[in-house]
Amino acid sequence: MRIDALCKGTPPKRSLLTKTLLMTTRLTAVLLMTACLQVSAKSYSQNVTLSEKNVSLKKIFKEIRKQTGFLFFYSDELLQQARKVDIDVRDAPLKEVLDRCFKGQPLVYSIVANTIIVNVADRSSPPEAIPPDPILVRGRVRDSSGNALPGVSVMIVGSAQGVATDVNGDFSITVPSNAVLHISYIGYAALNIPVNGRSTLSVTLHLVQSAMNDVVVVGYGAQRKGNLTGAIDQITPKDIEGKPGVNMMQLLQGVSPNLIIQQPDPSPGASVNFNIRGVGTMGDNTPLVVIDGITGGNLSLLNPADIESISVLKDAGAAAIYGSRSANGVLLVTTKKGRKNTAPTVTYDGTYGIQYSKILFSPLPAWQNAIYKNESLTNVGQSPIYAPADIQALKQGGDHEWFLKSILHPAPQQSHYVTLSGGGDHSTFLLSFGTVDQASNFVGPDYGYYRDNVRISATSDYGILKASGTLSYAHDNLKTNSYGNAFLMADAERTPTNFALQDSLGRYLTNSVLTQFNPLGILEAGGYQTTNNDDILGDFSAELSLGKGFSIKGAFGGDVHFNHSFLRVKQVDFYPQGQYGNLRNTGDAYSQSIFTNVNLMAEYNRHFHEHSVGLLVGTANESTTAESSNIFYNYTDSALGIPVTGSVVSTGSATTAQSPYVTSLNSVFGRANYSYMNRYLVEFDFRYDGSSKFAKGLRWGFFPSVSAAWKATDESFLQGVREHFGEVKIRGSYGILGNQNVGNYQYLTQYSSFTPAYGFNNSAVAGTAFTFANPNLTWERAATFNAGADAVVLNHTLTFSLDYFNKLTSDILLPLTVPGTFGGTLPDYNAGKMRDEGWEVSVKYNLNGRKFKQYFSANIGDSRNEVVAFPGGQQLYGDAEMQTVVKPGVPFNAYVGYKRDGYFQTPDDIAKYAKLTGITPIPGDIKYKDKNGDGVIDANDLYVLGNPFPRYTFGFTYGASFQNFDLSVFFQGVGRRDMFVRGELVDPYQANYSYNIFKHQLNFWSPTNPNAAYPILSANGSPSQQNDYIQGSNLYIFNGAYVRLKNVQIGYTLPFGLSRKLRVQKLRVYLTGQNLWTLSGVKFLDPESTEFNNSLSNTNGANQSGRVYPTPVFYGGGLDVTF
Amino acid sequence: MSHRNKIYLSLLIGLVGASACQKLDQAPTYEYTNLTYWTTPDQASSVLNTAYSQMLPNDYFFYNEGLSDNAYNGRGDADNVFSISSGSFNPSLARFDQEWDAHYQGIKTCNVLLDNIDLIPNYPADQKTLVEAQARFLRAFQYFQLMTWFGDVPLFVHDITLAQSQTIPRTPRAQVLSFVLSELNYCQANLPVNTAVPSASLGMITSGAALALKARVQLYEGNWAAVAGICDTLINTTTYGTYSLVSSYSNIFSPTNEHNSEVILDEEFVPLVRTYSDLFDFIPISAGARDNALAPTQELVNDYLMTNGDTITDAASGYDINNPYANRDPRMTATLVYNDYVWTNPDGSTQIIYIKPGSDPSSARLNEYVPNGGFSSPTGYYIRKYYDPTAAAGEASGLDLILIRYADVLLMYAEAENELGQMNAGIWNQTIGALRVRAGFTDAGATTFNVAWDAGALRSIIRRERRCELALEGLRIFDIRRWKTAETVLNGYPHGAQYGDPTIDNGFVRLPPRSFDASRNYLWPIPTYELEQNSQLTQNPNY
Repeated sequence: MRIDALCKGTPPKRSLLTKTLLMTTRLTAVLLMTACLQVSAKSYSQNVTLSEKNVSLKKIFKEIRKQTGFLFFYSDELLQQARKVDIDVRDAPLKEVLDRCFKGQPLVYSIVANTIIVNVADRSSPPEAIPPDPILVRGRVRDSSGNALPGVSVMIVGSAQGVATDVNGDFSITVPSNAVLHISYIGYAALNIPVNGRSTLSVTLHLVQSAMNDVVVVGYGAQRKGNLTGAIDQITPKDIEGKPGVNMMQLLQGVSPNLIIQQPDPSPGASVNFNIRGVGTMGDNTPLVVIDGITGGNLSLLNPADIESISVLKDAGAAAIYGSRSANGVLLVTTKKGRKNTAPTVTYDGTYGIQYSKILFSPLPAWQNAIYKNESLTNVGQSPIYAPADIQALKQGGDHEWFLKSILHPAPQQSHYVTLSGGGDHSTFLLSFGTVDQASNFVGPDYGYYRDNVRISATSDYGILKASGTLSYAHDNLKTNSYGNAFLMADAERTPTNFALQDSLGRYLTNSVLTQFNPLGILEAGGYQTTNNDDILGDFSAELSLGKGFSIKGAFGGDVHFNHSFLRVKQVDFYPQGQYGNLRNTGDAYSQSIFTNVNLMAEYNRHFHEHSVGLLVGTANESTTAESSNIFYNYTDSALGIPVTGSVVSTGSATTAQSPYVTSLNSVFGRANYSYMNRYLVEFDFRYDGSSKFAKGLRWGFFPSVSAAWKATDESFLQGVREHFGEVKIRGSYGILGNQNVGNYQYLTQYSSFTPAYGFNNSAVAGTAFTFANPNLTWERAATFNAGADAVVLNHTLTFSLDYFNKLTSDILLPLTVPGTFGGTLPDYNAGKMRDEGWEVSVKYNLNGRKFKQYFSANIGDSRNEVVAFPGGQQLYGDAEMQTVVKPGVPFNAYVGYKRDGYFQTPDDIAKYAKLTGITPIPGDIKYKDKNGDGVIDANDLYVLGNPFPRYTFGFTYGASFQNFDLSVFFQGVGRRDMFVRGELVDPYQANYSYNIFKHQLNFWSPTNPNAAYPILSANGSPSQQNDYIQGSNLYIFNGAYVRLKNVQIGYTLPFGLSRKLRVQKLRVYLTGQNLWTLSGVKFLDPESTEFNNSLSNTNGANQSGRVYPTPVFYGGGLDVTF
Repeated sequence: MSHRNKIYLSLLIGLVGASACQKLDQAPTYEYTNLTYWTTPDQASSVLNTAYSQMLPNDYFFYNEGLSDNAYNGRGDADNVFSISSGSFNPSLARFDQEWDAHYQGIKTCNVLLDNIDLIPNYPADQKTLVEAQARFLRAFQYFQLMTWFGDVPLFVHDITLAQSQTIPRTPRAQVLSFVLSELNYCQANLPVNTAVPSASLGMITSGAALALKARVQLYEGNWAAVAGICDTLINTTTYGTYSLVSSYSNIFSPTNEHNSEVILDEEFVPLVRTYSDLFDFIPISAGARDNALAPTQELVNDYLMTNGDTITDAASGYDINNPYANRDPRMTATLVYNDYVWTNPDGSTQIIYIKPGSDPSSARLNEYVPNGGFSSPTGYYIRKYYDPTAAAGEASGLDLILIRYADVLLMYAEAENELGQMNAGIWNQTIGALRVRAGFTDAGATTFNVAWDAGALRSIIRRERRCELALEGLRIFDIRRWKTAETVLNGYPHGAQYGDPTIDNGFVRLPPRSFDASRNYLWPIPTYELEQNSQLTQNPNY
């Protein structure tokens, strides 16, 4: 803590130049000292105990810093003028102690934030004007939740005078009427308030959000944000409050840059896609989730009200300590604990609202639909099927409600969370209960999702031992129809509106379009499927502080997970014909997994003058055992679903012996960090993992990273920047991260029995299938570079983070493309190379007036992946019309197809231009670009048409409060994505269900509309249909960019006085709305719809056909109460 | 550190130490590995069962008819038969690669079995030979299917590595052919005759099957003498099994008459357990179908003779275009469904299938022909053959699919003898005559041999007979390819019944046109994907 060197040659003169220099020096020192905070979040007292005789101020300052954490700024020259002091105080307020020390000194001090600035007492200032008469100012200081803040420093700017607030947060001080009060409190943003002659003041201090001194949870520990060297973003409850999301994953959408959440299917209980920094591997891209230090938890089963913080570890510097699982990023979830020395507090947070289905496309009246149907036939030389009289009859018969409307209805959604927490001197506790219930918009019996959560957490200090434990239980239940949403939607939407779902007798009708099924009948009477999860997650840890910065810690945790799903198909008879569910299936599937995680760590943190050193070394084991069983019966009892005479156990039934597995991972990990003068920080992390997924000799992998940071504005030459702008830190990291997300036992050739394989004389026999081993299987490695900067500027009102990353993943674990001649598939191989490159920016800005306060928070990130090498050169994957490709130089699984080049307008045009083999088009059909100019359109004319993964994902929040009212508006979206939609929403009178056209499809080609959006109407099987719609082309590529008003909240908090009368600490009521408005490149479908999961595997094929549960729009209200 | 704290420390370390780590050496408990598999004869049998299951995908059996002029795939593009028959495809069409894969997967199973069977200790030699012979038959059958579609294909008789599969060239078709024939010779010598198969093993491959397959292979080559010789052996001796015609044509395909005397090779299904549901999209809608995806064509219907043995175009045939289904070959009724057909429901009751538009007295009109886009048949005909009244919901049927039946042997014999110029009344009576009598023809004009027929006339008669007898059994596409008539019958419009615009094609429903390019389509293209994966592969001409 020496700054002599810095201050040499800057004698305290009164010139402008030296003032600036001095100020620069001063700020540099502040930054320097800030950096000396310890890794652990230690809480400082503001009281001081000192007993010294005839000691230098310097020594006293040192002691005070030790006790309070307050930093001193001074230069040695300055202190040479000071005399030595005697002092003897016990537990005295800091200010009192300082006042004593400075009494009679030629020096004054002022406190700015948690820094004490020592300056020369300004005796020579001329009496410029007669000072105004002093006035007595009374005031009260509260935090943003309205709680009184005791011990807040209230200083008159420019003098050493000041007071502190009392236990009620009140203060009184006599000041010149034109004085400015500097109000500061540790951890809060300091305010300068001009008195302007007022005699009463009401002051609200705000916690310094995301400022450099926030504590951020990192792998196996916590660090001050200012001391981070890796790329870590922290999400706090404020980011998700009041948003009516059902699970954590949905709530995280848009809150952190490059934490990419997609909800391909918005139906209750459907899973979401999540990625950190996009897609970096051709294998599994799922980030690692760590809950309270235990890896592998299930984020979607957590109670959102239990979340204290979520750290998003993005780069190698942050994530390497998780070694073999960290290449896709890590989410570190920390749950709430009780606080020490807090009276028991109960909080309730609940929302209730109604979800409305918003369908973005609509049918035509049946008679118009019929006219276009005729046109589609006559265009290709076929006879019309509706005579004028038929069309007249349809017109007179009128239309029934569109089936899709009939099977959807508004549905409630609600959540209720109660937390009881508190703590004494040595222990804390927290109990929480939560329930959330989202009903389905489909009609029918109780479809929807609910989840109940219970959590108990306690901590206790016993001497040098700190112990803590958490036990939580979650139960959820998803009840859906027995048929599948996609087909229900499709059957309902593509039936023309001249048909009815039910007759006057209530019978479910079939018709000439829907011959077999009636979606209403299936929903109301066709049975159901339920899926439950029961999850018990617990962790217990104990930490021993052995003194001198040395501690050891052990943690044991685990997750016991049960999943049960039950299918019950009930037979429904339709009229005049058709049956649903005549198999009368009853299916019962059960699985359980037990995961355990043991960690043992030793940690050492010490400061030696300018040097700070931290060391951590640990070992861990993670093991999973899992088993499952299922039984499926057909022809069960129609009332109870139980097996009866005639029931048959169907194929696929399995006992627990069929697929149990055990996996294990042993690890040694560590971290070493060092900082010099708290300005230059460097950190080394590693993990050495051994996995049961790989053969002996190949199973151990070493994953190191090195990262460094430079607090640039601590440098003296940048002191001006710091003064006028703020703090800036520059970071960089490089490391190797791993990925082991592959199936088990792949290094062994596996022979697995399956039945029935075949039969002889009507008796089934088993067969054996085999998968050849890849004995050379080993880790996937991602070399990750990151550079970033953090800034906190404009008096802590604006924080800014910027990162660039570049990740090259090699030895990607993927199943090799195999010639068909090989005759089988192969397990994963370490093959392929892929780059993922991008950036992210986040900005937060607070604009606090006295009554009107606003904040802005925005984030945007981009990730662009590109295949670098792929064994076999390239691979095309077909799905319906569209194909995706994996080949070097283009994004992973990019869409490929033909490119449209307008339409054939004349027969002459057709004669001249390249065509598809075997197809004779007509005017109005699509012309495709003949890429290689060989006169024929074939596989050599495929273009890369788009990247299915979202880019430029962003979120924007605006918040404002005026007195007791608050408002927040949250937008979220995607800047660029290519979306593939095929099927009836694009292709009118589509192949197999050629009975309808929707309103959005009417801009089709005709001689008078030669530049239409869609080609000429044509009939199933015709060459035109083959030419225009059976080919994958950019006809099917839509712009999936969107911006969505995801959430709006308007709240009112009861004034402090009123809520105190009601004996509540805080009461806030609010209105909240979700998915209120969307602007999108695709108009007839929700732009979030995608067929891909987070690893770009096509797992939601129905979404390509637009058969997606309509995105619900939610309107509701909520209540937050703290007792 | 206080004493007490030291205790806690030890406890803590003890706790962590006690929760012993799972070992990193883990092996599956629910399946065998290469170290543990090849230990008992049952393990070999189990792999053999897999090879049986890969014999022929049931979808191909049915939908291949849509590749020919027998049926039209009007809904979807099952197995790409619409794309292929309409000519609008290129070598990257999925079916080509799926076909390639399906056969090489079967070959792999056989090769892995044959390569490893010797690892099994104490395997009785006769049992082992039996398993080997079945595997070699199945492998030969796969190669036969491959060479029939693709011509030259990579031929190998031991399991190949990934690296080998990336460089293996195509073997000339002639070598593949001679391999198939020599393998079948081995099989015919080492497999039991059908009458020696124990009832529990019914469905296993026999020496007769090996011989019959050899006849089919030679037939496709046009090696008439070989065909005639093999068929003669099968017909006139019992050395390789005992076969005869089932007395009722429709009873050949009855679930109560599986493994009948006519079955030489079949693919086995097990009711409720191993089933296929193709008929769910074939039979009349009112009989329980979901919709129609494959419908017989007017061209097939037209080829059925009148009961007097005349074709419908013969002046004296008595054919009435207004009552077109009267007095026709009885096999037509057993094969397909036409307007006013009397359908027998599973419970024995009957219903009339009203297909002609406007003829259904009920309002449902489920089966009626609807031009373009209906759920009903696009041709006005439905499929009856292989309808299983005992099928489970969704027409999930366990009825075995017959791949080679004795009637085929008779037809091969007749064709070969005729091509050899040796057709006579005796052979006629033994073959075409016998089939017609069995079919229910009674008119001598249909059943007796006419010495006035020359070889060309006989060729037409035999080919028509083959088409009608074996309709919807998946063989027509191979026949028109080997006869080189595909370029004639697969170009132009297929038709449905006479429910269309009377000004077009005499009112017979005109369906989207087919296209067949004789310069290249007699061989399928080598799949694009395979060419990409293996630079040694070459493409067939003109693709």
